Amino acid sequence: MGPTTKRRFELLPVYYLLPSLFLVLLINFYPFVSGLLYSLSDGSLIQQGTFVGIVNYLRLFTMPDFIHSLYFSAIFAFFSVIGSYVIGLGLAVLLNKDIPGRGFFRVALLVPWIVPSIVSIISWRWMLGAQEGLVNTFLVWLGFKPILFLANEQWAIFTVCLIKIWRSFPFMMISCLAGLQSIDQSLYESASMDGAGRWQSFVHITLPQLKSITVVCWILMTIWSFNDFDTIWLLTQGGPANATENLIILAYKYTFTKNDVGTGSAMAIVVLIILMTLATLFLRNQNKSQD
Amino acid sequence: MKKTMLVLLTTVLAASAAGCSGDAGQQSQPSGSVQDAAKSNPSAGNGAKVELQFWDMVWGPPEYIDTAKALVDQFNSENPNIKVSYQSTPWNNWYQTFTSAIAAGTAPDISTGAGYQAFQFSQMGAILPIDDVVDELKKNGDDFLPNTVDLMKYDNHYVALPWAIDIRVPYYRKDLFQQAGVTPPKTWEELRAAAKKLSGNGKYGMVMPGDTGGTHYVFSLMLNNNGGLFNKDKKVDFLNSRNVEAVQLLADMVKDGSINPAGAGFTGDDATKSFGQGDAAIIIKNPGFPAQLPELKDKIGLMDPLTGPHGEKGTIYWINNIMLYKQSKHPQEAKQFMKWWSQNNKALWTKGHVTQLPVKKSFTEDPYFKDDPERKEILEKWIPIGKTTAYPYPAVFPELNEIEGEGVMQTLTQEIMLGKDPKAIMDKANQTMKSIMKEK
Repeated sequence: MGPTTKRRFELLPVYYLLPSLFLVLLINFYPFVSGLLYSLSDGSLIQQGTFVGIVNYLRLFTMPDFIHSLYFSAIFAFFSVIGSYVIGLGLAVLLNKDIPGRGFFRVALLVPWIVPSIVSIISWRWMLGAQEGLVNTFLVWLGFKPILFLANEQWAIFTVCLIKIWRSFPFMMISCLAGLQSIDQSLYESASMDGAGRWQSFVHITLPQLKSITVVCWILMTIWSFNDFDTIWLLTQGGPANATENLIILAYKYTFTKNDVGTGSAMAIVVLIILMTLATLFLRNQNKSQD
Repeated sequence: MKKTMLVLLTTVLAASAAGCSGDAGQQSQPSGSVQDAAKSNPSAGNGAKVELQFWDMVWGPPEYIDTAKALVDQFNSENPNIKVSYQSTPWNNWYQTFTSAIAAGTAPDISTGAGYQAFQFSQMGAILPIDDVVDELKKNGDDFLPNTVDLMKYDNHYVALPWAIDIRVPYYRKDLFQQAGVTPPKTWEELRAAAKKLSGNGKYGMVMPGDTGGTHYVFSLMLNNNGGLFNKDKKVDFLNSRNVEAVQLLADMVKDGSINPAGAGFTGDDATKSFGQGDAAIIIKNPGFPAQLPELKDKIGLMDPLTGPHGEKGTIYWINNIMLYKQSKHPQEAKQFMKWWSQNNKALWTKGHVTQLPVKKSFTEDPYFKDDPERKEILEKWIPIGKTTAYPYPAVFPELNEIEGEGVMQTLTQEIMLGKDPKAIMDKANQTMKSIMKEK
């Protein structure tokens, strides 16, 4: 095989990929480049405006609402990832055992993930929103005072995190379940013969074996939590008093309410940079530990 | 290989950048005059039928759309050289709908819109001034109610015709008032006392939502007290003593336990539900609100305007617009339709049951208004004391949308319900307003 033939052979798969690559670039690259250009200008939704360089980015870090949203986004993402992972992993371990009704529970526990957000979140709103809602009625029946789940700043933060965890744990559960089923059972048998208990097996076999899938799930859930619009918008619209305003909602408000597309786009790009950095750190850490 | 990929990437990058700037760049060009637009119209004047797109917001119950369509059909039959296509436009994401259409060069020829729409899009250079239309209508006898048409000026040009008035008025539950032995309040003092007496055991004197509907309570009381967000020179004057008194009244009512604190997380629908269930006795809503709760129609009463601590009355109102777009290829025909619509749309109320009130004096003389106690009372007692969010500045301007929308006032309203210090939250709101108005 001469060098020309070899080169042609190597390029052939790339040529096959070109149409898909073009589509992917068009779909992903075009909005990204548009957003980037908007973030460098002072335009509105219908006027491009003038090029202002990185002024919008510099201004962001002097804006109290941006700083607050950045902080809330981090809190929201952290608790959503940790909460959904702990619950998802716990249920996955349970459903990996031969318990009665396992098939039913595997399907039933996916419901929060499957139900459209508008349906599930509005239902939660009805149950939590008012003092005479289902949850407060129950609390009063138990002798507690009603809680302003969506009207008190601290409770609203807790509630949006909780609903996000509720919506997200099935994804963690199904991913961990898949990971658990791929663990070689002989590892557990050997550990058992060496006298390891359940907890030791879980810590020293299950968790390390699930590390790859855990990192991927954490990255995805961090991205989805940071970018979550519908959970917060449908529950609180970022209120009360902006307590639950994450960066995506703030970017939306700047773009569509204040018609300040430059600032809104700059916020979106900052979110992108944060998420890319986090993803890179996660993956690097994973690669290091694999090495 | 690397070179091939680089060329491909550069091509995509350049294409997307060009596409992006192309769209927006097209919009940033100033539109031509009416005459230019008429010249560019290939069909106008050569006998061919001119087609106009009319986007009308959903201003009432289902019969509203049927009535509006019938009116458009009537215009089309009376004007065989023009064909107006009616498009009912939902309120959800209305701003994105219009801005996307303008950016894409597919804006309608004419549309209706809420109080600030014409001003917002005028600021973006998308609205066609209609000084000639207003002059002509005024020459033929000014049928507009006072303080309506002149509010439609932006940069010394009329940018819209007024067509309806939206206003906020307080409704109360007659049955709950009766049970508590309370008469409808006439002053702020009486309001606070009545609300306190109506509260307790999970019930509240008043329900105030945390969304934009809640901001209307704050606006209404500030304007009632002859306050306002600005001075006559359009400078932010939010910390004036009248506004402070209004916010303090609401803060006191929260402290009294007279306003449902859960309201900070309520939408307007939640507030309506609370009022409908008898959990709150007073609500501030739009005219025609009792029709939303037909089973309680006889139990809902309209309160008289309250007298503030300095003897003044007032509430918030908005003048809804009908406007033309610069992108229209047929501006003259669009103006013709606009005039016709303004003069002939009484059926929107009498048959379409719009909840807002008309801006035409002659329409208000119709038995539909004269014979209905609620509409009559609002027209006689409330409309004359209505003030805009710009008050005392005599015109509306685009920044009001941001101030009234999902921003500063909404946060302030929620903070009042959260029991925060009125001075601190007003100081914060004042700073935000100054920043919106680009004041130091």
